[in-house]
Amino acid sequence: MRRLYLSTTVIFWLLVSAFWAGSLWLPPADESLAVAAEKVISRTELAKHALPDNCWMAIRGTVYDLSAYMPRHPSPPELVLPWCGKEATEAYDTKTKGRPHSAYADELLARYRIGILTASKP
Amino acid sequence: MFLLRWLSIPLLVLAATVGPVYWAFPEGLSPARSLGIVLGWAGCGLLLASLLLMLRETWLSRWLGGLERMYQWHHHVGMAAYVLLLAHPLELAADAWPASPTLAWQTLSPFSQGWPVRLGWLSLLLLMLGLAATFATRIPYRSWRWLHFSLGVGVLVGLWHLLQLGIEEPVLPILALAALFLGWRILREDSGLAARPYIVQSATPVADGMVEIALKPLAEPIAATAGQFVLVAFFAGPTFRGCGEFHPFTVSSMGAGREIRVGVKALGDCTRRIQGMEPGVLARVHGAFGTFLAERPAAPQLWLAGGIGITPFLALLRTGPVSQETTLVYLYRAEADAAFLQELRALAEQDPQLSLQALATGNQPPNIDSLLPATRELAGHECYLCGPPGMLAAVRQSLHERGIKPRHIHFENFGFR
Repeated sequence: MRRLYLSTTVIFWLLVSAFWAGSLWLPPADESLAVAAEKVISRTELAKHALPDNCWMAIRGTVYDLSAYMPRHPSPPELVLPWCGKEATEAYDTKTKGRPHSAYADELLARYRIGILTASKP
Repeated sequence: MFLLRWLSIPLLVLAATVGPVYWAFPEGLSPARSLGIVLGWAGCGLLLASLLLMLRETWLSRWLGGLERMYQWHHHVGMAAYVLLLAHPLELAADAWPASPTLAWQTLSPFSQGWPVRLGWLSLLLLMLGLAATFATRIPYRSWRWLHFSLGVGVLVGLWHLLQLGIEEPVLPILALAALFLGWRILREDSGLAARPYIVQSATPVADGMVEIALKPLAEPIAATAGQFVLVAFFAGPTFRGCGEFHPFTVSSMGAGREIRVGVKALGDCTRRIQGMEPGVLARVHGAFGTFLAERPAAPQLWLAGGIGITPFLALLRTGPVSQETTLVYLYRAEADAAFLQELRALAEQDPQLSLQALATGNQPPNIDSLLPATRELAGHECYLCGPPGMLAAVRQSLHERGIKPRHIHFENFGFR
């Protein structure tokens, strides 16, 4: 068992190092995944997408289509789904517990950007 | 009943693994991410089973086939959990790799993630440290125990990591059970609440570096039979510096007045100190555990003892003559190391069914093949082995080569690290 412990621990750290090295040396993600980057979306349009499988959210003035991400979100659905179709900056910045999302979440979020929220209320 | 005891731990481990995976099985995710999540839950369930298997309760050990078996499974299940939990974050990072190596690293990195991931890392590092200590057998037992305890803390931190992710439904019951098992172990067993008070009546040197200690109960005594062992903590006496912590010792005699005797060989700091034991020292005794010589069939028997491994056989012989033809092979380094040899010779002379072969092997490992009876002489025998792990492995190998089936070979290592 000692041999198993040593070998798995060494392999673990080698793979962690490989992920770190990959992030430094391999080309960054294709930013083109964010589609229709600058489409202007009204709050009325935003409110139409308030379902788990059709979920848009506005965060810091940008609208994201999070329908595909919803099943992957680690929090229970009852915490996240109420924000579908709404302006959710406050919830995103505090996670409703006073803690902001991580830099990782920011990067992930950018991948679902579909447009910007119109400045004035309808 | 035997089958039920044999299956009890595998079924328990299976239920502990499948339960959380079924409860929290991911839906609608990519296969790689689903696998990463399943690995985490399976590791979590295995850790919970491992915690249950470290409990030292006589009733629980009877259900699960003995404390030694529980400890073997505790080690294997804990190791399996560790491997799965190492793979868990790697698999989640691998899921993000096709999208972007940067995203994959950020999935894994404790620096770009929030507290949920940092706690996951802390938990893994505590498990890593605790297991490193588990395999470092040369460090003093007391330090080893504290480092081993970090494994329990690692489990709790791992569950906190899940709570921080906002996953409460399957986590809270698991956290409650983990806290119960850890608290149970610390309060009832490590601090001695489950043990009974005894007092040392005598301490008799029986060989070089070995002493036999007689203990008299001060309250309700424990129930022990030949072949069992007890966990004993000796406290400070007038000149004896106590150990405090519980160590396993094989019962060498059960007296009519419910007093027990245990054999103690100087193997570590505490057991070396116990060689200077004095009457009047207070002790707490927990047990008895083990099924080594229980339910012996009425077939001819071969008993093989190495060094202090003679103790369970002596305990049985002290209860009266054997009820079937029995050959006792007793191996020791030199006459000075041969505990209880005179008494064994006297018992063998009085018992026509008992044949004693006492052999000094010197400092080199003995040639087991030449010491064991020939194949035809062993036919129909039940074999009981007790001694150092190296000797047990060699004897088992030799018995297999003589055609003895594993179900006719019974042994205990009496190892608890």
